[in-house]
Amino acid sequence: MSAAALAQPHDSAAADVVPILSLHDIHKTFGSHQALRGVDLDIRPGECLGLIGDNAAGKSTLSKVIAGTYVPDEGAIKVDGRPAHYTNPLEARELNIEMVYQDLALCNHIDVVGNLFLGRELKRGPFLDQKRMLAEADRMLAALEIRIPRLTAKVENLSGGQRQAIAIARAASFQPRVLIMDEPTSALAVAEVEAVLELINRVKAKGVAVVLITHRMQDLFRVCDRIAVMYEGTKVAERMIEDTNLQELVDLVVGKGGH
Amino acid sequence: MATYTERQSGSWLADLVSEHAQVLSIALFFLLCLAFFSAMNPNFLTSGNLLNVVRQAAPILIVAVAMTLVIATSGIDLSVGSMVALINATVAIVIAAGVSWPIAIMLMLLMGALIGGVQGWFISYQGIPAFIVTLAGLSILRGAALFMTEGYSIPIRDAGGFFWLGRGEIVGLPVPALLAVLVAVLGFVVMRRTTYGRQVISVGSNMEAARRVGMPARRVLASVYVVAGIACAVAAILLAARLGSGSSNAAQGFELQVIAAVVLGGTALQGGKASMLGTVLGTMTIAVIGNGLILMHISPFFTQIVTGTIILVAIWMNTRLFDRRWRLGKRKTA
Ligand SMILES: Nc1ncnc2c1ncn2[C@@H]1O[C@H](COP(=O)(O)OP(=O)(O)OP(=O)(O)O)[C@@H](O)[C@H]1O
Ligand SMILES: [Mg+2]
Repeated sequence: MSAAALAQPHDSAAADVVPILSLHDIHKTFGSHQALRGVDLDIRPGECLGLIGDNAAGKSTLSKVIAGTYVPDEGAIKVDGRPAHYTNPLEARELNIEMVYQDLALCNHIDVVGNLFLGRELKRGPFLDQKRMLAEADRMLAALEIRIPRLTAKVENLSGGQRQAIAIARAASFQPRVLIMDEPTSALAVAEVEAVLELINRVKAKGVAVVLITHRMQDLFRVCDRIAVMYEGTKVAERMIEDTNLQELVDLVVGKGGH
Repeated sequence: MATYTERQSGSWLADLVSEHAQVLSIALFFLLCLAFFSAMNPNFLTSGNLLNVVRQAAPILIVAVAMTLVIATSGIDLSVGSMVALINATVAIVIAAGVSWPIAIMLMLLMGALIGGVQGWFISYQGIPAFIVTLAGLSILRGAALFMTEGYSIPIRDAGGFFWLGRGEIVGLPVPALLAVLVAVLGFVVMRRTTYGRQVISVGSNMEAARRVGMPARRVLASVYVVAGIACAVAAILLAARLGSGSSNAAQGFELQVIAAVVLGGTALQGGKASMLGTVLGTMTIAVIGNGLILMHISPFFTQIVTGTIILVAIWMNTRLFDRRWRLGKRKTA
């Protein structure tokens, strides 16, 4: 019997693809509170994974572990099948893992352009290249159909939806391989939600792996290929989208349908 | 039927004015001070006196530029006065011990960076509030200066080049003032145009966001105290060069003048904002008031009362007026 055959469990057809990112037995404890109690998760290229669960189920914590914001207490992360040991967001960014945070992580005192390029400012010599950043920023925001009249306005003066759009544009615009979105549409109006869903389908087609956290169940069926359900810090179920329906997902979230 | 119309954008002038309201108001206040003191005393507006004002303002301005960075990270450095005193005394001791003055200057800059680095380490990597760390620094550094000098002033002899830094002139302008202007321009460019300036603002605005986008947030936070330490060293050197001696009693109440200059200039204590132009105007206002009161033969002790009052009023205006955003009239909507 070959070792390779033993190492590869075949639970679904998609498992043949090497996951971009694979989490194994992730634990995270805050003080005495076990936010994550051993989570396994595979994320494959060109796929959108929906991550759902009740409030405080641990979705944001898990996604922050993926993005390098939290270092897990236990567990292993593999990128492209190889063990990865990133310990901060910068190292995750260098692996092309990008995230839209639930709290957006914007700097209120900095203008729109500055926030879009936060942490990777374009430079000319030793100085910031404001002109080029302005031009690029226009292009980044155009993809999201959001209207921001003045790109040099401070972010603190913008509406909630505009701020959210900036956070999405920032994460999506720098060739991510893994794009994590933690409730990216919670403050968006109808047209803007459509634009975000389109964006997800567009980057998926380019082979990007998307993790979408949302409480808007109907959106899941528009973009997701697979759904993972979290409950009290564990992953309780995983479903291919074609094998499930709204009612089953709702039951799984509240803990009625667990097998 | 409803008709859809676009919002009219307000006039760019109103936008400009509301964005720079604080700098404009401190500029106005500065001009008022100038007018007041020249009306009170005919000697005030003489070139001799004005050069004296800028010469005296130079050390304040240099440290205020650095303090602008510190306050932009929502920190504070209360130790600057004591640090100036310590380095001021040390440079005199070192030169008296026979070290050549250019090397002494290098050593002092290093010493400032080192002291700032230690304070920055406690603040950034150990999470102790800047207020506490630098309050301790205020006591320790002044104490160290007194301990070294036993309270005596130490004369500096035979260092012509060194004295030139404090007393010299280039085309009729005092060297310390020119140096201070250079530092202010440098500060302006760094904050406006460089990645480091952007990082300082980000850390002050939202440290966690800065970390998440991959900025070395802790290192940036610690670095502003190093910058403050170096600025203190420069100020201490200029003071020693002007007075020809070093003393542990130098720069009494200096931290108050510096902080007053920065907040008067509109840099918010909550962080995330830095106004170099405001800091320059704030410093000049503080210097003009100090000088003007002396010319009016008012007790020098009164200056302290005025400086304290200015800090209080400036912060009060900062929180009361500007947080609610200044608007010039109401914009008309279609
Ligand atoms: N930094 C932290 N310190 C302490 N506890 C935390 C921290 N972050 C998360 N928690 C706790 O971990 C649990 C999971 O939080 P998490 O934010 O991951 O939930 P969530 O699934 O994203 O919920 P929601 O849908 O409300 O966003 C919560 O009970 C929360 O209180
Ligand atoms: Mg969450």
